[in-house]
Amino acid sequence: MSEALLLKPDRKFVEEIVASGGDDLKKCFQCATCSVACEVSTGRTPFPRKEMIWAQWGLKDRLMADPDIWLCHQCNDCSKKCPRGARPGDVLAAVRKQAVQYHSAPRFLGNLVNRTKYFPLLYLALPAILLALALTIREPLEQILPLGEPHEALYAAFFPHWLLIGFYASFTGLAFIGAVVGVVRFWRSMRVADAASDSGPPALGVVPSVVRTLRSILFHDKFAKCTDQASRRWTHLLAFYGFVALFVVTIWATIDLYLMPVFGVDSLYPFDLLHPMKLVANVGGVVLVVGCVKAITDRRRSESSATTAFDSLFVWLLLGVGVTGFLTEVFRLAIEGAGQSGLTSTAYFTYFVHLVLVFGLLVYLPYSKFAHLIYRTVALVYAEHSGRNSDGRQLLPAGDSRPQLESHADKALEAANA
Amino acid sequence: MEKKVAVYICKGCDIGASLDVGALSKVATDECNAAICRDHECLCGDAGREMIKQDVREGANALVVAACSPRFMTDVFMFDGCRTERVNLREHVVWSHEPNDEDTQMLADDYLRMGVARAKKAEVPDSFEAEINKTVLVVGGGVTGMTAALDAAGAGYEVVLVEREEELGGWAGKFKYRFPLSAPYRELELVDLKPRIEAVESNERIKVYKGATVGRIDGQPGQFDVAVKANGSSAEFRVGAIVQATGWKPYDASKLGHLGYGRCPNVITNVEMEELIASGRINRPSDGKPARRIAFIQCAGSRDKEHLPYCSGVCCRVTIKQAMVARQYDSETEAYVLYKDIRTPGQYEDFYRRAQEDSGIFFTKAEVVGVEETGEHNLQVEAKDTLLGDRILVEADLVVLATGMVPMAADGEAIRRFVDAEAVVAKGEAGAQLEAAKKTVEELQHVEGTSILNLTYRQGPDLPMLKYDFPDSHFICFPYETRRTSIYTAGCVRAPNDSLVSMEDGSGAALKAIQSLELAAKGEAVHPRWGDASFPDFFLQRCTQCKRCTEECPFGTLNEDVKGTPQPNITRCRRCGICMGACPERIISFKDYSVDIISSMIKSVEIPDEFEEKPRLLGLICENDAYPTLDTAGLKRIRHSAFIRFIPVRCLGSVNVVWIADALSRGFDGILLVGCKSGDDYQCHFIRGSELMGTRSDNIREKLTQLALEEERVRLEQLPISDYERLPQIINEFAEQIEEIGLNPFK
Repeated sequence: MSEALLLKPDRKFVEEIVASGGDDLKKCFQCATCSVACEVSTGRTPFPRKEMIWAQWGLKDRLMADPDIWLCHQCNDCSKKCPRGARPGDVLAAVRKQAVQYHSAPRFLGNLVNRTKYFPLLYLALPAILLALALTIREPLEQILPLGEPHEALYAAFFPHWLLIGFYASFTGLAFIGAVVGVVRFWRSMRVADAASDSGPPALGVVPSVVRTLRSILFHDKFAKCTDQASRRWTHLLAFYGFVALFVVTIWATIDLYLMPVFGVDSLYPFDLLHPMKLVANVGGVVLVVGCVKAITDRRRSESSATTAFDSLFVWLLLGVGVTGFLTEVFRLAIEGAGQSGLTSTAYFTYFVHLVLVFGLLVYLPYSKFAHLIYRTVALVYAEHSGRNSDGRQLLPAGDSRPQLESHADKALEAANA
Repeated sequence: MEKKVAVYICKGCDIGASLDVGALSKVATDECNAAICRDHECLCGDAGREMIKQDVREGANALVVAACSPRFMTDVFMFDGCRTERVNLREHVVWSHEPNDEDTQMLADDYLRMGVARAKKAEVPDSFEAEINKTVLVVGGGVTGMTAALDAAGAGYEVVLVEREEELGGWAGKFKYRFPLSAPYRELELVDLKPRIEAVESNERIKVYKGATVGRIDGQPGQFDVAVKANGSSAEFRVGAIVQATGWKPYDASKLGHLGYGRCPNVITNVEMEELIASGRINRPSDGKPARRIAFIQCAGSRDKEHLPYCSGVCCRVTIKQAMVARQYDSETEAYVLYKDIRTPGQYEDFYRRAQEDSGIFFTKAEVVGVEETGEHNLQVEAKDTLLGDRILVEADLVVLATGMVPMAADGEAIRRFVDAEAVVAKGEAGAQLEAAKKTVEELQHVEGTSILNLTYRQGPDLPMLKYDFPDSHFICFPYETRRTSIYTAGCVRAPNDSLVSMEDGSGAALKAIQSLELAAKGEAVHPRWGDASFPDFFLQRCTQCKRCTEECPFGTLNEDVKGTPQPNITRCRRCGICMGACPERIISFKDYSVDIISSMIKSVEIPDEFEEKPRLLGLICENDAYPTLDTAGLKRIRHSAFIRFIPVRCLGSVNVVWIADALSRGFDGILLVGCKSGDDYQCHFIRGSELMGTRSDNIREKLTQLALEEERVRLEQLPISDYERLPQIINEFAEQIEEIGLNPFK
């Protein structure tokens, strides 16, 4: 028998979970209907039942080191079936929010970025000031640095590419360091927790685990298991692939602009509307905007999930980036194509707003809801690596057992409701 | 009065179509010499009844109604001044056997013979009259006792309330908060018993003795003579019925050393926690510092074979209450509840939910392994099998043990055994008896001086204890009943209860007491032979002072004189007839139920000679459960062997062994005895019927062996009332078995 665990109940942590969307946490009486109802829960370490009791007792260290909270897609199949209304799905979302803050480096940033009252300051004022500062040092720098001919594109005249890339590269670079530290902290805590529970040797090497995880993410196949809100998978796929497309295009544009000339290929920037990259960008943008709008309307319509400021800020930010991006493009086409030069200042303003929003999205990535990109991926890799996901170790027999169990839970629930 | 037997055969409900009623009538008139025999298409209709009434007017007084089961149309066939004997042709004959069959007809003939035989001998009971005092004595002035007193007084009865302590209120009066007693069952309530206490003390019909104990209770229902000792003085008065509402005491926590009690000053019981709550602040006993981390250990000594095997039902809610109070006193307090199961019945689930919502109250299922001190009298609780999946350690400033309730009752039978053994020891006669008595005295030392009611009953001064030492007599079907007539238990002495249920108990027991008084005034029995006016008659000239009746009576009806002659107390009697079954001299009988009457019935059955190869079986069955079961089987048209003849008995315990001897010598081939379930969870209305029959049938088996008869010829079965499918199977199996053994050689 393992050694007794000294409990240090953290009442503050319980209260934080309750305050950040897990209001019903304390109602749980550990019947485990949730773990049976959950389609992505694994046999070896079923969740969210254990997370519920950990959260009730304020066992923060355990939850922060728990990869399982990241395997949940908050479809709320469990919350729907919970006989006591404890809403485990929402509790896990609240725990994930706490985890993002807990692992973030520097930690104060994680706490600040998620405080609603600092939203205007951090997401609008601060990036605007920083961008304005960048604009003011543009000319002195242009005189010092050998930058060659300025690009003739419309927006480059306002905010030149070298400044844009320099500005974002340095800030996202800092964020990247923060993210790496967060990942290391997270990975280490999972390892420590697993070592304490004698979980045995890793089941799979890290590299194959990463490959498997990426394949899983590309198809969203785990997400497909959630039944209650199956459409959310498509919403997420739209937003995900929209973002990926735009990210790829941005990288390509940078390569095209700075690397291609080195190899003696003329830069094609700005791309023609029919250029494959431009097509990818526009389609990606549309897909992103549609995904975001769908996410917002879905959440509005659905009563089955709690939506916190933590969630909605992210979606609105993403939508804002997409919409201002398109507006920027439309103004450029209007000015360059239709000669509407009177729109120039409006176009610059829109572009500026776009840049401000992009700052919030990318630089705060490791500290905001967007951090799920990192932590979920890491948790999935860890799950593959440690074997907690593997079918071979499932407690339930293979085959039809899951649907039977589910229908059993359904029947029990129907009986309870009747 | 001259008997005029009139037989009526109903032809309704398939009887006419399945039997030769003409032949049956001939049995009545020619063979049994009934003065009148008539049949009717529908005897229970107005015309049928009118026909009987006409005969009654013309002098018929011993009626035999051969129709449906006596459990139906009971009132319809009752006529003033007459006894009606019912012959069950419907359920037990035509509905459970082949119609128009030779064996079915023989069965009907025999049932009619038995009916007439009984009608000839049974008499209408004489009425007895006694002066019945209708005052109700309530022992115990807690919420239960006060409710019983108020309700009895409210119904117009005089009440005497005896309370051991100086003030009324009991435990509830000592608590500051209670869990809610009304919807929405979520928030704490302050206890305020003042209005109730004032209502009791100012009630003209209620006489209250405080600081008082019961010195002695003599007599019988309606005539209990009570002596009360109150603060040095004493009082004597007469009452009719008694409600014992003596409540509970906490389980002795000194036996819970493994949970730290007695070893660590900061481990207290939930009752001691109530004292801290009443003091307004929850400070540690060791140093008086505020207890900010309080661990509650549920089922401390409860649901534990080593301690109390049962669940007291309230400790979960008490703990939730105490945790909520602690949080209310100081919001920095954290309460950890370690439970086996949370049991908050009914609406109290909402009270549990309310506590769960509090972020400072932590719950987990756990099996507590031990409690240790870690320095400065701080505590560490170790638990296994927790919901957290680990063995856990919880640090606490204070540990509260949720101990259960023990009834405030004395074991009357044990006290009697102790006193008897002491008497033997005092006599000092040498022998094995002395050794046994010395051992008993040693074993039962703890019961000395524990008596509460101090009844002068032969079977002991208090109520007999049943399962888990609660003096209840029938916890499922008949709450408040005890094994002493007109003495009812209510509240926590009956079963662990909360105060809401205790108050309900108080009302229920008061009503039961009133009911028993009114019935006693009419000379009638109380539950379960409610309204029975017969009573046992003792022909004492022939008594051999064997004491079987005084010992076997489940209700302590009989006292003894110095020689051991039984002294009946009629109003204590429930008319089960167990004394009649016990008596080897056969000197106890009822007017309508006696050894002779049943023997006559047995002898009236026509036994075919051995060449006909028609065995005859006798079934003596309990009229409370087995008989209705057979009715149900008939209702379901389940067939059984037509060779068996049933005689209902008041209780299997009333079966006198002589009937079995009579039946065997008469030529019956086998005897089936069907009674109720015995044991801790018995279903017998008279507590020990099947058990007593079991002991007696051991003797019977010996007799059978002496007579060179197979002991399988007598079979004892226990049957729940719901087992109507099993009973015909039992009958058929028995019939087959007897056929295998062969016919009775004494035919």
